[in-house]
Amino acid sequence: MALLEVSDLVVGYDAFPVLHGINFTVEEGELCVLLGLNGAGKTTTVSSVAGLVKTRSGSVVFDGKDLGRRSPSARVAGGISLSPEGRRVFPRLSVKQNLRLGAWTRRRQSKAVQRQLDLVYDYFPRLGEREGQLAGTLSGGEQQMLAVGRALMSRPKLLLIDEASLGLSPTVARTVWEVTSRIKQDGTTVLMVEQNAGALPFADRALIMEKGTLVYTGVGDELRAVNLREAYLGA
Amino acid sequence: MTTELGIAVVNGVFRGSVYALVALGIVLIYRASGVFNFAQAEFGTTGLFAAYIGIELWQWPYWLGLLFGLAAAVAMGLATERLVINPLRNSSRVTLLVGTAGVALAAIGIQFWQSNEQPIRSMPKLVEGVAFQPFGAAITYQHLITFVVLIVVALALAVFFRSPSGLAIQAAQQEGTAAELVGISVRRVSMMTWGIAALLGGLAGVLSGPNLTFTAGFLTFGAGAALLPGFMAAVLGGMKSMPGALFGGLLVGVIEQFGNLSILSDVSGGGAMMLFLFLLVVLLLRPQGLFVRKAVAA
Ligand SMILES: Nc1ncnc2c1ncn2[C@@H]1O[C@H](COP(=O)(O)OP(=O)(O)O)[C@@H](O)[C@H]1O
Ligand SMILES: [Mg+2]
Repeated sequence: MALLEVSDLVVGYDAFPVLHGINFTVEEGELCVLLGLNGAGKTTTVSSVAGLVKTRSGSVVFDGKDLGRRSPSARVAGGISLSPEGRRVFPRLSVKQNLRLGAWTRRRQSKAVQRQLDLVYDYFPRLGEREGQLAGTLSGGEQQMLAVGRALMSRPKLLLIDEASLGLSPTVARTVWEVTSRIKQDGTTVLMVEQNAGALPFADRALIMEKGTLVYTGVGDELRAVNLREAYLGA
Repeated sequence: MTTELGIAVVNGVFRGSVYALVALGIVLIYRASGVFNFAQAEFGTTGLFAAYIGIELWQWPYWLGLLFGLAAAVAMGLATERLVINPLRNSSRVTLLVGTAGVALAAIGIQFWQSNEQPIRSMPKLVEGVAFQPFGAAITYQHLITFVVLIVVALALAVFFRSPSGLAIQAAQQEGTAAELVGISVRRVSMMTWGIAALLGGLAGVLSGPNLTFTAGFLTFGAGAALLPGFMAAVLGGMKSMPGALFGGLLVGVIEQFGNLSILSDVSGGGAMMLFLFLLVVLLLRPQGLFVRKAVAA
């Protein structure tokens, strides 16, 4: 059974449908990348999995349970965590305070939270070095690390990362992808959204989205060889 | 002249305590909901009226009346959040502003109706008498208590905002979506903020009411008007700073007292004039407010 199963998902803002009934699964233990051009509907997809946007029809089944209209809060507690597009760190709080708030749903288990904090610092040593600094004063790359770290603090089963590489230098983007790959190896299932095909080598499987529909699902190796990249990603 | 200045400063600090309490509430709500809360002072008058009803009409013990007054203020704050702010959360700020003004007007209307039989009211002070007389300025126990309450409340708020719940409030104010994503209920945070702000307003009301006789709208436009001075204090403090609101409140109190100096004795409304002049100069020279180091990048 897949960890995440999205079926016939239709989502729209106001009158316009943005997702026209998409179907995909994410298997336990894999790192899946959702690729597509700007405006394809990637953010809308992960936002509806995280509970930020209402679905019109279709279902999102996680860990065997239909999530229905559950709030984002209930979904974090249930094991889904999203590092949102644009990072959205808490700018006037410190790095450490940002991370601790990531564990809000488990705040009473202080020992476990401390262990998770150490783990995040192990993934991103930069964050440890700057734990007292206000998040708003970090560089773009550091803020992205903080956003992923914060999402990890709830110890999710499924980590969603929306466009980590946006606005980062190729080197910093690589660092973030490498850590994401480590996070997967340590047992967290990951679905990452990207426009940048540079993420492909890190993924076990790729989904390609175009104008609100999924047009391709396959393993990363396959995709690297095929000219789908040209067709759908313009790369 | 020195004595006169001394008296003005001492009087101003103690009278400014009420403005500071109101300003703290205004800043809290501005940070949370992005709106100037026109009802902030009415949380105070409502609390004052409820305390009066308990103490004078129902003959309750004083402390119970005070608690009742504060509870009424908090209830009004929570109701405002539920019935006005939350339903209008996706509307423009102007709409929200009008909404809070509506709440103030409704509260004043109810107070007029409730006090129809006896529009001018008074109630005893917490402790009667003069506490001390620096430079010959008579500082009553009531003023002293108000000042102490202000300091205690400010310290408590500072501690609270570093606690987990306080950090959650700050997070929700800084990045609502991200707060929702980590599981903070932005709705609960909003309720909590309005409740705390209303408590601050209530304290301003029940502590300042006994200084004078009072009527409906006492803290908004009546003899104990604190809404406009509170706004000025909040603006002086940079609108988002709690210490700024505190010191802004005391400063507004002092400057207002300068209007009573003998050199201005021929000028009627000297205090208000001084205040507006001062605010104007500050806003021209330091538009970010007096107590904010630099505009912090959002
Ligand atoms: N809040 C919104 N209101 C209205 N339309 C939106 C909103 N968010 C996204 N859209 C529209 O939905 C489509 C898909 O957007 P999005 O999911 O952000 O795509 P992507 O993340 O792939 O760039 C776009 O056409 C976009 O304009
Ligand atoms: Mg996007």
